[in-house]
Amino acid sequence: MLNNIIFDRACIQFNESFSLREIDWVIEPGQVWAIMGASGSGKSALAAALAGAGRVTAGTLRGLVADTGVVSLESQAALIERERLRDDSDITDRINEGTPAREILDEVCANAKLQSRLTRLFGIDSLLDRGFGKLSTGETRKLLFIRALASKPDMLVIDGPFEGLDARTVPVISKILRNLANDLPMVLVINRLDELPEFVSHIALLEKGRIKTTVNSSDTTAMAALSQLFHLQTADIQIPAAIPGESAPPLDCNKPLVNIRNASVRYTDNLVFENLNWRIEPGQHWQLTGPNGSGKTSLLNLVTGDHPQCYVNDIFVCGHQRGSGESIWDIKQHIGYVSSALHWDYRVSISCKNVIISGFYDSIGLYAKATDLQQEIAVQWLEILGLQARAGQPFNQLSHGDQHLLLIARAMVKHPHLLILDEPCFGLDDLSRQLVLALIEKICGGSETTVIYVNHHAQDQINGINNYLTLDGAT
Amino acid sequence: MANYFNTLPLREQLAQLGKCEFMDPAEFTDGATYLAGKKLVIIGCGSQGLNQGLNLRDSGLDVSYALREAAIRDQRQSWKNATENGFTVGTPEELIPQADLVLNLTPDKQHSAVVTETVPLMKKNSCLAYSHGFNIVEEGMQVRDDITVIMVAPKCPGTEVREEYKRGFGVPTLIAVHEDNDPRGEGLAIAKAYAAGTGGHKAGVLMSSFIAEVKSDLMGEQTILCGMLQTGSLLCFDKMIEMNVEPGYAAKLVQIGWETITEALKHGGITNMMDRLSNPAKLKAFDLAEELKTIMRPLYNKHMDDIMAGDFSEGMMEDWANDDAKLLAWRKETGETAFETTPASDQEIPEQEYFDHGILMVAMVKAGVELAFETMTAAGIKEESAYYESLHETPLIANTIARKKLFEMNSTISDTAEYGCYLYNHACLPLLSDFMSRIDTDVIGRGLDLDDDGVDNQLLIEANRAIRSHPVEAIGQTLRGYMSAMKKIT
Repeated sequence: MLNNIIFDRACIQFNESFSLREIDWVIEPGQVWAIMGASGSGKSALAAALAGAGRVTAGTLRGLVADTGVVSLESQAALIERERLRDDSDITDRINEGTPAREILDEVCANAKLQSRLTRLFGIDSLLDRGFGKLSTGETRKLLFIRALASKPDMLVIDGPFEGLDARTVPVISKILRNLANDLPMVLVINRLDELPEFVSHIALLEKGRIKTTVNSSDTTAMAALSQLFHLQTADIQIPAAIPGESAPPLDCNKPLVNIRNASVRYTDNLVFENLNWRIEPGQHWQLTGPNGSGKTSLLNLVTGDHPQCYVNDIFVCGHQRGSGESIWDIKQHIGYVSSALHWDYRVSISCKNVIISGFYDSIGLYAKATDLQQEIAVQWLEILGLQARAGQPFNQLSHGDQHLLLIARAMVKHPHLLILDEPCFGLDDLSRQLVLALIEKICGGSETTVIYVNHHAQDQINGINNYLTLDGAT
Repeated sequence: MANYFNTLPLREQLAQLGKCEFMDPAEFTDGATYLAGKKLVIIGCGSQGLNQGLNLRDSGLDVSYALREAAIRDQRQSWKNATENGFTVGTPEELIPQADLVLNLTPDKQHSAVVTETVPLMKKNSCLAYSHGFNIVEEGMQVRDDITVIMVAPKCPGTEVREEYKRGFGVPTLIAVHEDNDPRGEGLAIAKAYAAGTGGHKAGVLMSSFIAEVKSDLMGEQTILCGMLQTGSLLCFDKMIEMNVEPGYAAKLVQIGWETITEALKHGGITNMMDRLSNPAKLKAFDLAEELKTIMRPLYNKHMDDIMAGDFSEGMMEDWANDDAKLLAWRKETGETAFETTPASDQEIPEQEYFDHGILMVAMVKAGVELAFETMTAAGIKEESAYYESLHETPLIANTIARKKLFEMNSTISDTAEYGCYLYNHACLPLLSDFMSRIDTDVIGRGLDLDDDGVDNQLLIEANRAIRSHPVEAIGQTLRGYMSAMKKIT
């Protein structure tokens, strides 16, 4: 990038309900910018505008580079959606495991040398023959980085550089980015102040579609003020009540909630884990950790019943020995669940309020008539999340972070016996994150719900969680 | 084996053809309980086989897969699918003798061989399920007297059967009991439990007969579903090329156009599809469709007559016996057409433009759906069946064209559909040549070029009335209502 990129009172329209307004912003060569702000403030939109998205309706936007590499939750979602469309198993009558990682890279880069250098750099060179569907969240993310870099972009826009990455990988990626930033112009969207890389030179803080302020990161006073702004009071949250008589049948409190014995998950070409034992007593909250690809999601899916191999393992969960004639809905009525995979799967046309109500029915979408009480409770949740004005809006028009908040409320709404939170702060900004952590802490303090919590951030500790299971991913 | 339908007296033929009713959700309050503890063995681990099995197991049923010994020994894809998903896999000799319910989910063409091999292994008083009745009705397969024979046919592709189940919903499903094989009178109970096990009861179940399913399915797939879309694709594309429309654009307009247009059909029937057009375009499409219906009606009648008489399946089975000589030649021919070999351009076409520039395609869909529906109901098939086998499935086939064009559509739809599609195509192309010679790019490729969008009130009222009062619209509204009443709650 040789020229400045100049936003001059630029208004940029993205869809009917969202536009960036009167953006004044100059990016000079050599600067590394971070875009920050609350969820829904327009961070991702501003990043996307750098790649040419949106329609400039007033003011001007000059100096955009021709080829901008983008890594974002949206580009990840787009790849997942493309893979879903490519799934031709109905047509060929053969089950499709997804495009091999190598082919996904070949699409954008014919230079084998560059490709192999990048895959080694990101440490996924051994996974190249694996189908896309078999990659973990973190591995998919790395693939996206490589894909963006392999096309030799003139500029790199990364929306949430560390989302979905484990604690071990974050510094690795951070270092790679720092080295790249020397000669590749870069703009990052950062959700959490503690994730702000030290090589960022400037910060643009967004609020409601406008740039509220810009800060030079060497200005310590300004940085301190910024940190203050990000601090949130989450003192007095009341969790909306459950509906008496409508929750799942009671469980025998003398039996473990979950008892997994000698479990393994394996595919013909890949062993995810084996000899795994895990016993969870009612009221015993757990944190599950482990690097990307160590099988955390597979393990949790054995519990929820979403992993088909739950039927070939010795698993007792919520009163049922799996494979003894129980239905999946007998299990799910006891469980609240949120994960990024659920988020990708939640693509139905539905209003925000009904997303929360769907938690009473364990469904994706709503296929039953909600009771008045359920409606009322959903409204209370919307208020807690600060989304009451959006009750009737389509779910898919909200920002990724707001969508995720709704799914967390969906998981909690019925006060389940078991609440599984697989990286609940995935893609959330500081404000939302603190809200979510406070909610989880409240639930852990109560007596009816047992929590399993997965996360990569050492900072996101929850008071009340005293049991830890670590998957080492040694396989 | 003789054609089963032809062995029946007329009274019975009519009774069977006229069978199709929407079942009350209250009939499914027991869910899959009737099959609890029973052994279900699935033959075939493709898309329907695997996904139905996953649903049935998640509904608490005991499911395993019978695969050929070679598939197990060589660890073929079907073996991998079943074992990676944690299913028990065994040879037919190992598993079938213990099965209470055997689900035959293999392609039609294999049915005779599979059923002939499987039935002798089945235990006394067990049950055999089909998802398509061709083998029983057209090939006249006779199954041992003690065995119950049923059909459960989800009206969607396998992956959708699974996706909807995981969401807590299901897909519309057709069930039937073969009355000659219902020795203990439990066929309906088993079929209902099986349908509930796949989640179908949540989206609506139609009680039909083997005969109604086969005759309507064959008619739908070879005329409007595959035949009309194939013929329409070739005619529309060639016309655009003749009129110097850019080839990449023409290919895309046709390939993606069917899917876009029929998406409107899926949501609101022919009425909504026509409402997507401007008033002048709607009147144009209406007139074209009327003309097409007049020209093509004898062809639709012929297809229906041949299906009813059994001539169609006889001809096709002759070709099966002849190593698919005709079919393969026709498939090759399709692959070499100009439409097929011209890549669609990358150019973005706005959704509305597919309607505005594809007026003739809209007319073809309207004419094809209405004709297929009219011909089927005139032959004694109930409106519910006729709706599902014409309008309901058109978007599903259009979707395969959007992804893989005709050559792929044809090599992957059922063998009965493909054979029938070519028969239709070969008859329909010459039939429409005079009609096409009068067509210009205002209705295909470039859109109407009018300074004034005004129309005559009286003409518009008449056209709208005719569109809205067609019987396929009334039944469609009712059946879609059943689904959306459950699905879309606001």
